[in-house]
This record gives sequence, C-alpha cells and structure tokens, in this order.
Amino acid sequence: MNKQLTFLMCSPRGEKSASHSIGFYLTSLFEEKGISVNSFSVYQTLKIQEEIEEMIISINESDIILISSPLYIDQAPYMTIKTMNIITDSFQQGKISKKERHLFAISNAGYLEYYHNNIALKIYEQFAKENEIIWAGGLPIGAAGTHAQYPIPEFLKMLEPLPKEDPRHEIYTKPTKLLDSVIRTSVDHLCKGEIVPKEELQKLEFVPMPLEAYIEGGNNGWLEAAEKLGTTDKLRDKPYER
Amino acid sequence: MSYVILNGMYKDDSFIPRVNKMVSEELQRSNYAGDTVILHDKEIKPCLGCFKCWVQTPGICIIDDYGREVAKRMIQSDVLVYITPINYGGYSAELKKALDRSIGLLSPFFRVHEKEIHHETRYNEYPNLVVIGTLEKPNAEQEEIFTSLVKRNVLNLFSEKYSSQVIYNDDDNTTITKKIERSLAIVGEGNE
Ligand SMILES: Cc1cc2nc3c(=O)[nH]c(=O)nc-3n(C[C@H](O)[C@H](O)[C@H](O)COP(=O)(O)O)c2cc1C
Repeated sequence: MNKQLTFLMCSPRGEKSASHSIGFYLTSLFEEKGISVNSFSVYQTLKIQEEIEEMIISINESDIILISSPLYIDQAPYMTIKTMNIITDSFQQGKISKKERHLFAISNAGYLEYYHNNIALKIYEQFAKENEIIWAGGLPIGAAGTHAQYPIPEFLKMLEPLPKEDPRHEIYTKPTKLLDSVIRTSVDHLCKGEIVPKEELQKLEFVPMPLEAYIEGGNNGWLEAAEKLGTTDKLRDKPYER
Repeated sequence: MSYVILNGMYKDDSFIPRVNKMVSEELQRSNYAGDTVILHDKEIKPCLGCFKCWVQTPGICIIDDYGREVAKRMIQSDVLVYITPINYGGYSAELKKALDRSIGLLSPFFRVHEKEIHHETRYNEYPNLVVIGTLEKPNAEQEEIFTSLVKRNVLNLFSEKYSSQVIYNDDDNTTITKKIERSLAIVGEGNE
C-alpha cells in the first residue's frame, strides 16, 4: 500500500503565504515519490465540522503529518495551536489510532535569522510526543517572505541568468539551493519512514546576509506600501497612547 | 499603577479561576487597579496576517472586535499578566488568539536589538510582563520551553521587567501564593 501524508497548511494568507509555497513544494516532491497527499488549509477546514472530521480521518490513515505554519510572536499562531488541540482530543477520543506515524514541521519566520523558529519547533516536538507521534524534525525558515513571493524552483530559475559575480548569488542562490537540497533529503528520509538526521537540518543554521542589509530592504518595503496607501506620515502614530 | 490580566484558560478549566483570583487579590493588595479579561468569553477573530495594522491603519487592527480592546488594554497597563494552561510548552490557543492581534503595538520598522532583528517600538512605554502557566504535573521539557518563550516574547514586547512562573494543578494554596508573590515582586516597584 502507498504511504499517505496529511498536509496542514496553517497560514491565513492562503496562496500568498510562505507556508503554502514551501509546504506545497514538499508535497509535490512526496507525490513524485508515490506518496498520496491530502491537504487541508486549516483556516478553512476549522470553519466546518465535516471538514474537521475529514482531516481527522486523513490523519488516522496517514503515515506522515506535515505542518507548514507561520511564526507569530515566537510560536505558532492561534489557529495552528487550535488544530493541534483538535488532533490531541481526537487521539484521546480514540478517533486516531496509534501507529507508526511521523511529524515533520516547517516554521516560517519573517525575521532573517532562522533561530527565531527554535521555540516553535520545540513546541511541535512536544505536540508529537504528547500524542506518541515520531518527531521527524523541522525546517527553521528565516526571511520567509521571499519564499512567499517566489516558490523555490521559480526563484532558482529567476536567479540563474545573473552573472556569476553578482552578489545576489551569495545571499539568495546559495541559501535557496541549500534549502532545496535539505528539503529533498528530508523528503527522501520521510518516504523511507525515517526521521531526518539533525546534521541535515542543521545545514540551515546560518544567517545569509548582514542584518543591516535585511533591515534596510524590509523598512523600504514598509515605506513603499505606506506610500501607495497615503499613510507614510501615520506609520509612527500612537493611537492607544495613555 | 494599573494591571490587566489576560486569562487564556479553556472553558472547562476548573483550576485557573482559582489562580486568577489569587493573582488579582495579590495585585490589589499591592495597590494596583485593574481587572481580568476572560478571553474565551470575548469575540476575537483570528489575525489575518495582513499587516494592515502596520501600514493601512497604523497601530489599529482592521478587524473591529474585542481584539482591538485587548491591544489597547495591554499597552495602557503598567503590569500585563498572562495566565494560561501550558500547551506543549507554549501558550493556550485562547491566549494566542488575542496576542496575535496585538502586533500593532509595535512599529513595522525593523532594527537590531540585542544583536538580532526585532521591531522598533511604537510607544514610549511598554508594560512589565508576568506570565503564569499551569501544568497538571511537572514537565521539565515543557517548562524549559515555556520559560524561553517568555524570554523571547519580552524581546519583542520591550518589557523592562518580566517574570514567568509555572504552577501545578496540585500545588497547595501556600505554594501558589508564594509563587505568585515571587512573580509579582520581580516586576513590582520594590525592585526598581
Ligand atoms: C501576528 C504576527 C506576528 C509575527 N511574529 C513574528 C515573530 O515573532 N518573528 C518573526 O520572525 N516573524 C514574525 N511575523 C512574521 C511572519 O512570521 C512572516 O510574515 C511569515 O512569512 C508568515 O508566514 P506565512 O507567509 O506562511 O503567512 C509575524 C507576523 C504576524 C502577522
């Protein structure tokens, strides 16, 4: 029998999100390897009881659970926690039977540094432990906004024509290729029913550019967005000042 | 001095109301004025992740519900208290629902803070933070996660003083009182 995977896409931003872009990149690789995938966008799923039940049935039948979620204030958003609680309750009610099942998680942070995701990943690990799911590891993604805009394969194609000495190779091409390779290796291990070795995931533990460069880019982004809305002079308002 | 307690308990929790009452009493004994928001009683929609609270209506979430009020109460208090059952080492969904809606309290602009990227402040003053988590029984891994989480949150919320405390459901009243007193003393005036 084919292995089965349940993918939980946990961003409210839908297709515009890094959780969607990176998560579905992984599911496409799983499908190439013959794994059958059921995907749930939890912000939609949790609105409808029948869809929640479908999600639970899918998890019950799955060998792998894949979570791709944003990082909100150092941990998962409300809806991701709520989804974990529903799954935990379903285990306790016997709606999900215990069997060999792996959890792999992708945590998507806005800040540049990967390590902002560390606590969120530890929380996913505890969720797995509480439900006797095997923790297979997780990807700590920094500067996730880039992946929200450009899915990994497209981004690499876009960067390809740049001249060899272009500095963008160092800050974009190299880290994205590395991420791609870690993702592919992770998928290989998971397909074989293995956890992803720590040494593989640790390859993502680096900061690809100076913090100041990222800050400048980010701050310009806010200014551009505000200019379009005509709110530039309001950005530092203090509406709730005492 | 003012306080607000954000109570992130789930509806069926029979332990947290007792802790909440003891925390309120202790705060009032120390001459703080304030009250508790039981979050599960309030209509608070989930954050949309749209960042409009940063660029479109700066400082105010575009969703007009009690989430706005929570953010306002947070920034207008001297001491902000979270009480939450510990979920997998982190906060409850109920608490998180409100906190996710509060990022308008920060400026959208990034800066380096403690050698990491964080946001700039929007306001001149931020509340001191007391976080109390409850667990049915000791769990070293989850307690460590919880303590680190509070520490990380403070980097994002700019509290000058903070404390975190874990209370077990079978702690007796004397132990709970001591833990609460210790937590509040850390952020209290006596510790300036
Ligand atoms: C409410 C809220 C809180 C956030 N908190 C953090 C944070 O603590 N650290 C961080 O690096 N990024 C934070 N971000 C940025 C998101 O992690 C970033 O936008 C990410 O791309 C979201 O994932 P998504 O694209 O899948 O929605 C926050 C964003 C929102 C809306």
